[in-house]
Amino acid sequence: MEKKKGIKVLLVDDEDVFRETTARQLAIRGFDVLTAESGEAALALVKNDPPEVVVLDLEMPGMHGSETFVEIKKNDPHVEVIILTGNTNVDSAIELIQQGIFDYLMKPINIDELLYKIEDAFTRKKLKEKQHYDFGM
Amino acid sequence: MRVFDTSHLQKHKATDDQPTYEHVYDYADSQANIARIRRHFIKLRTRLILGLVVIFLLPSTLLSFYFHFQFAHTLKKSAILNLAAVAETQKNTIDLYLQERVINLYNLLHSREFTLSPTPENMDNFLQSLKHFNDGFIDIGFINPQGIQTDYAGPYPFLRDTDYRQESWYQTLVTENRNYIISDIRPGIRGIHHFAVAIRQLIDGHTYVIRAALDPEKLSSLLKTISQGKEVESILINRQGQYQTLASGQKRFPDHSDYVPSHALTSGVEEVEHGQQTLFVAHAWLKEPQWALLAMQPMSTAQAGMQQARLTLLISLAGFSMLISAIIYYTINKLVDNARRMAEKGQQLEEMLAHAAKLASTGELASGVAHEINNPLAIIMATSGIIRDMLNPEFGLDHSPEAIRKELTTIDTAAVRIKGITRKLQDMGRSRTLSTTHCDVNALLDETLARLKKVEFKTKHIETATRYLPDLPRIPGEPNALRQVFSNILINAADAIDQKGTITISTAMQESMVSVTIADTGKGIPLENLKRIFNPFFTTKENGKGTGLGLSIAASIVKYMGGTIKVNSVQGAGSSFTILLPSKERSE
Repeated sequence: MEKKKGIKVLLVDDEDVFRETTARQLAIRGFDVLTAESGEAALALVKNDPPEVVVLDLEMPGMHGSETFVEIKKNDPHVEVIILTGNTNVDSAIELIQQGIFDYLMKPINIDELLYKIEDAFTRKKLKEKQHYDFGM
Repeated sequence: MRVFDTSHLQKHKATDDQPTYEHVYDYADSQANIARIRRHFIKLRTRLILGLVVIFLLPSTLLSFYFHFQFAHTLKKSAILNLAAVAETQKNTIDLYLQERVINLYNLLHSREFTLSPTPENMDNFLQSLKHFNDGFIDIGFINPQGIQTDYAGPYPFLRDTDYRQESWYQTLVTENRNYIISDIRPGIRGIHHFAVAIRQLIDGHTYVIRAALDPEKLSSLLKTISQGKEVESILINRQGQYQTLASGQKRFPDHSDYVPSHALTSGVEEVEHGQQTLFVAHAWLKEPQWALLAMQPMSTAQAGMQQARLTLLISLAGFSMLISAIIYYTINKLVDNARRMAEKGQQLEEMLAHAAKLASTGELASGVAHEINNPLAIIMATSGIIRDMLNPEFGLDHSPEAIRKELTTIDTAAVRIKGITRKLQDMGRSRTLSTTHCDVNALLDETLARLKKVEFKTKHIETATRYLPDLPRIPGEPNALRQVFSNILINAADAIDQKGTITISTAMQESMVSVTIADTGKGIPLENLKRIFNPFFTTKENGKGTGLGLSIAASIVKYMGGTIKVNSVQGAGSSFTILLPSKERSE
């Protein structure tokens, strides 16, 4: 088992098998992984246990991914959100990027690719937090 | 109300025999459309050209004819006036000529040389002096009170001592106490055509007459001379119509004119039929003798200008008509060609649009397929990743065959899921073989409705009403497929209703078709969506809430059964889907 990276990741996807398998892959690679099967569950989770990076599906029963993204950002503006979806929709991708997601990734995805994205997102989060505190204080 | 139908999906069914105004997609052969456009424009062009030619040429033709007749009338009038003037002038000339001859005799009578008992030399001198005035004089003679020509000079010496008492001109001159007389042209005693000029003189209570004969040919040639260049033939006739001059081509007297103008009119013009042609005849009566001068002109000569003008008019009218027709033809051709090209372009654009719509639905399909397929693919990839991780000693995971087999089963399941999606897609595109039985549509509707009420309709306040035709014939079909059709449409109807509303289901017969109408009081369908609701993966529901396959599958099943689906929708008031299904097995 690799040593801990100290990055807390929330994986939101309604596909149970995909969610659990990917969570396992991330966990053995040293991430602290939380999972949620819906937008509602994800929101409940982030309030109690805020993650650094959220990997979010779009097409889910109940609350849609884009709506979930807005709510997560409301809760914590510094959290980075990566969209991971099976739906190729350029328009929604552009819209979400403009709204401030970190990246828009397509399923299926290689685990290493996802890993690098999460790490990049985490780095940016730390950088932004530092700037925020530097200028904010 | 907007209406759309799916009858266009039925390529194998003839739809031409019953044109429906509700048709939206017209994928009719584009060549046929182009041909239809061309036929329309050919008809249009012909009508425009004919119409414009008539509009432009009719007034000018009518005007031309009007002016032509006005002109002809004026020309005839002027020809008549002209002829009358010629006759008047010539009459005056002849009158003057004859008066002069009378004056010649008077001058002789009053000359110093004159004597009542002249010698032959005197008589010769008198004749010479008369001839000196005019070479028309032939002879001269003195007639004593007893009517005997006592003295004579001229080429007919036998006329001396001739008794003139029986001569009509002599009797008139003496009995009517006239000063002078001019006789008609006749052979007389000498037997050679001439006319006589005579004056009466009372001397010591006795009547003496001096007469002279004149050559009528001189008169004729005088008339000919003054007629020259006037395209008029002039003659002199007496009251009985006998010619007093030689007409052209005539060699000898007497000749007789059938036409004698009324003596009451001193002058006038009349149209006279003469043989084959019509003549304009102008007359003028002389003062003395009572001769009429006739100036004649064939109508064709009088109207020669008219013929010329008519020819010019016709040629210019024809030229003008041809020019206008050519301009109209050219302009209309050009305009109609342009319009036709525009219409054809429009048609092509329409076809391109239809094609684009097809492509758009293909795009929707691709996007839907991607979503459906990418999720299981992601599972496959993630699971194969886990297997790789298991085999990587670095991670220290359980890599027993059981553990790996479990992961492989996950992969299999995902692959089967993808296979299911592709089969569904194929089913939609292809006609399926359904197990056909005789279905009771009313019963199937009730069944479906009951099932939906338990689950889908539970969350809303939806009232349902059914109006079934009691003896609806059973229709050939696959009950499950029909349930799916009804269920998909009913679910859509329920989704269209916000919180409270009614869904009305009715069945009826339309000719040989069973019709099922499912109407809701929901929000209705906007026009731009109406065209696409039957496209696969088209959905207006929130992402993740609808697959966009419901209506597409329903349309596909109905199409397979040989029926149609039509949608009427009023935004804000609701939609109504009407499914028409054949009640008899198709013969194919």
